[in-house]
Parts: sequence; structure tokens; C-alpha cells
Amino acid sequence: MTSGARYLPGIEPSEVCDCDVLLGRYPDRPGPVGDPASVRSLLDRLGIGQALVCSLRGALWDHASGNAETSATSEPGFVAVSTVDFRDPLRAERTLESLAEQGRKVLRLFPEEQHSEPDFPGVRLVARRAAELGFLVLLGGDVRRMWRPFAGLGATVVFLDTHFYHLGDLLALARDEPGFHTSTRLLNSPDALELVCADGHADRLVLGTRSPLCEPAVPLLRLAKSDLDDATRAAIAGGNLRRLLEGRT
Amino acid sequence: MIIDVHAHWGPWFFTMDVGTAATNLALMDRYGIDLQLVSASEAVIYDPAGGNRRTAELLEHDERLLGYLVINPRRLDIAQRDLAELLPGGRFVGVKIHTDYTASPVGSLQTTDALALAAEHGLPVLIHTWDAAVLDLAQACTDIPSLKAIAGHMGGPGWRHAIEAARGCPNLYLEPCFSHFEAGRVAAVAAAVDPGQLLFGTDATLIDPAVALGAVYAAELPPGVLDSLLWRNAVDLFGLHSLVRRIRDAHGPERLARTAD
Repeated sequence: MTSGARYLPGIEPSEVCDCDVLLGRYPDRPGPVGDPASVRSLLDRLGIGQALVCSLRGALWDHASGNAETSATSEPGFVAVSTVDFRDPLRAERTLESLAEQGRKVLRLFPEEQHSEPDFPGVRLVARRAAELGFLVLLGGDVRRMWRPFAGLGATVVFLDTHFYHLGDLLALARDEPGFHTSTRLLNSPDALELVCADGHADRLVLGTRSPLCEPAVPLLRLAKSDLDDATRAAIAGGNLRRLLEGRT
Repeated sequence: MIIDVHAHWGPWFFTMDVGTAATNLALMDRYGIDLQLVSASEAVIYDPAGGNRRTAELLEHDERLLGYLVINPRRLDIAQRDLAELLPGGRFVGVKIHTDYTASPVGSLQTTDALALAAEHGLPVLIHTWDAAVLDLAQACTDIPSLKAIAGHMGGPGWRHAIEAARGCPNLYLEPCFSHFEAGRVAAVAAAVDPGQLLFGTDATLIDPAVALGAVYAAELPPGVLDSLLWRNAVDLFGLHSLVRRIRDAHGPERLARTAD
């Protein structure tokens, strides 16, 4: 098997939807350039048809021009994801209201990159407004901490950095928060996906690769080799995320 | 063929149900891993003497599993006894040292003594390395010329240090397992290091083999390098030639030829 192989036999690329794809690059580390065409090409080689993409420009520097850059991408299958900056929560609030008016209700947040802790007032404000306005929130950071500002709001959240070390915390949260979901990216113990499903939460799992910064082959191979039935595997590969996107793009 | 030189058996304290060797064997079947070198999680985390003995019992039952004898550098008295009692069985082929669970950094005096002890017994050592610690391991390999050391995780996020370390130290080997999988990591290391110093490890049953295998496949290594990494170097390092011949006899030559399927 090579990186050019399709890892999910029986699931058409158009049915595969990745919740975690970034454009651009971090200036403080080596890595791929992250231009839209090369990212699209990478996903094509792996059989990923749809992807929720967000520009690091918005996360690291200026969310207005970053969101404009993301929206301008014309690659097929890319769903533009907006962002705001916790460090300017008042501007973030105005941006969320504007995006909601435009029907663009998919938001990615970068607390670690913006050095913002879950108990910061600005984080609480952004979380509250995103939930009130009905955004789907793609949220970085440690799930054991970042759940707090979104709890009890009826928020729809996909935790992007849930590590299998913290699977028990996620499952504990899932009991109280029907809108909490997780990326599969770091759920790479031998039975993490299977345990989530066994606990009745198969609908909370969405495929995430963090292409092009991480190896997309890893979560694809993990899902392909999982001890799950075909329908569940297909839901995790894309069906669950498409359900969350309904009415938000 | 695939030989996994970094694996464990037994339970972990996380939310997972992987407590028996049946999980090892199921994962090996799932991913086409022919041989796995395991240490007991019990021995790594808490009790080396008890864990090593339970590994010895386990190894009597399946030829596909070989053992690492775990050494806590703070308890070389236990290590001496374990080596004397368990090596004659012939199923332990290396030593495992975890620097974090024993609070024994690679460059500490007690770990240096533990590495020397393993070298005296002619056993390769798999040792946990993180960030720049792999440079300390290279220094240990220089100071103890008979030592053959495997940098577990090849430094994790510090893999660029692993390149520097391996290039100056032919008795240092690298294996890639790491639950975070930065794009291009395996390809960059394989391009910069002597292919004879590359090994394959998964950290199963803590981590699913999909992680290391996915990262290795994504690197699209030349076939010769891929074979060296996945099994040939392990055969030479651990002296597994006769065991591999038995696998070939039992399963046919195609077993050795399907590395990249």
C-alpha cells in the first residue's frame, strides 16, 4: 500500500468528508506550504472528496483576511470554514453575527495558537455567541479543558485534538452533551473507535486528518481496519459530518 | 514480512481494553505483522520482576512473540537476577528501558550502568527517547562501543535530533512509533540516515499499528529501504535468522515478499 492508495474500499471519495484540513503554514516550524491546489491533490490521492478547510492566516494573524482567503478557494469539495480570534472577543462577536447573517455557520477556533485558556472571559463570550447563533464549532485544544466554556449551551462542537489518552473524559462528556463530537485523528489506540461506538456514540465520530501537516493515511488506515460494520464506517468517514453541516453552509 | 520491534502486552491505565496477549495477536493478524517484540506494561510501569516473569510465561505459548526484559535503572539488582534467571529460556532477545516511568534520563548514571549491563549480555536495548534525549543516547553508544541501542519513538517530536544522532553513530537504531504523526517525518529520516539503522515499531498495544504503518507507507520508501526498515534490519540486529527460516518454511516464501501489500 502506498500513499496513493485509497484506504477506504467501498466508500466513494465523494462520500468521504474530512473535518480537519488547513491551508497555509505555521511560520515557526517547517512543513508543507499548504496552498489549496497541493492540498486538494493530496486529498485526491487518498480518496478524500470533501474537506472542511480553514486558513492559518486567520488563526495566526488576521481573521478577516484569513476568512476571505479561505472563502476564495475554488477547489472542488472544499467547504470554507471561518475563524475568529479569542484575543479580540468583541470583534469576534461582531464577525460571528455577520457570518450567521450570511448563513456561514461553520467555525474553527484555535485556542492553543492564540494562547487562550478555557476560563478566559473572551473565550466564554465567543463560545456563548457561537452556540446561540447555531454554529458548528471545530475546536482545537485539550478536550479535558476546552469543554468547559461550551458546556450547558446546547453547542455543537467537534473536538479536533481528542487523544485516546483522554477517551474516558470524552465519553463522560458525551453523556451530558449531545452536541459534543470528536475527530478521529488521535483516537488511534487499538479500540478507541470501537469503544465510542459500544458506548452508543457512533454518531459523534467524524473523520479528521489535519492534512497536510499530519499524515492523512494514518486515520484512514485506522478507520479502514476498524472492527466496525460498513454502515458505521461510512458514517464516520463522512455521513456524520454531512449531517452536522446541514443548514450551516 | 513485518517485524515490530517496539510492542507491549498487558493492560494500561487509559480507557482501553487491551489487557491480554490475544489483542497483540489479533492486531498482528489484522496488519500482517509476523513477529512482535514485547515487554510487559506491568514491568515498564511498575514491577519489572513480576512483569518479566509473566512475559516469560507468555512467550512459552506463541512463537510470534519474543521478549524484551525490562530493566529499571534504579534497580540493577533486580535486573541482574532477571537476566540470570530468564535469559537461559532463549525467548528474551533484548532489553527495554523506559526513562520516564523510572525517572532515569538517558544520560543519568544509573541508565548508563543499565545500558552497560545490557551490552555485557550482548542484548540490544530499546530505550524510550524524547526530543534531544536521543543525542544523549548517541553519546552512550559512543561511550559503550559494544552497545546496540534502539531510540524508541526516534525522539518523538525531536526526530530531527534523531537524524543527527544516528548519522554519527552506527550502533544506534531508530524506530518511528508516535501517536502524533507529523507529515513527512519517516521519509525525512529515511532519506538522511543509513538504511541499515532503520527499524519498525508500533507501540502496540498502546497504539494501534495503523499509526506507524500508515506513516511508513505514506513515506513511499524505495523497496529495498522499506524491506530493511520493516524486517531485514531486525533479523540481523536480534539474530532472528533461524526463526525467519521457520516462518518461511511454515508459510511459504510469499510471506516474505508481501511487505508492501
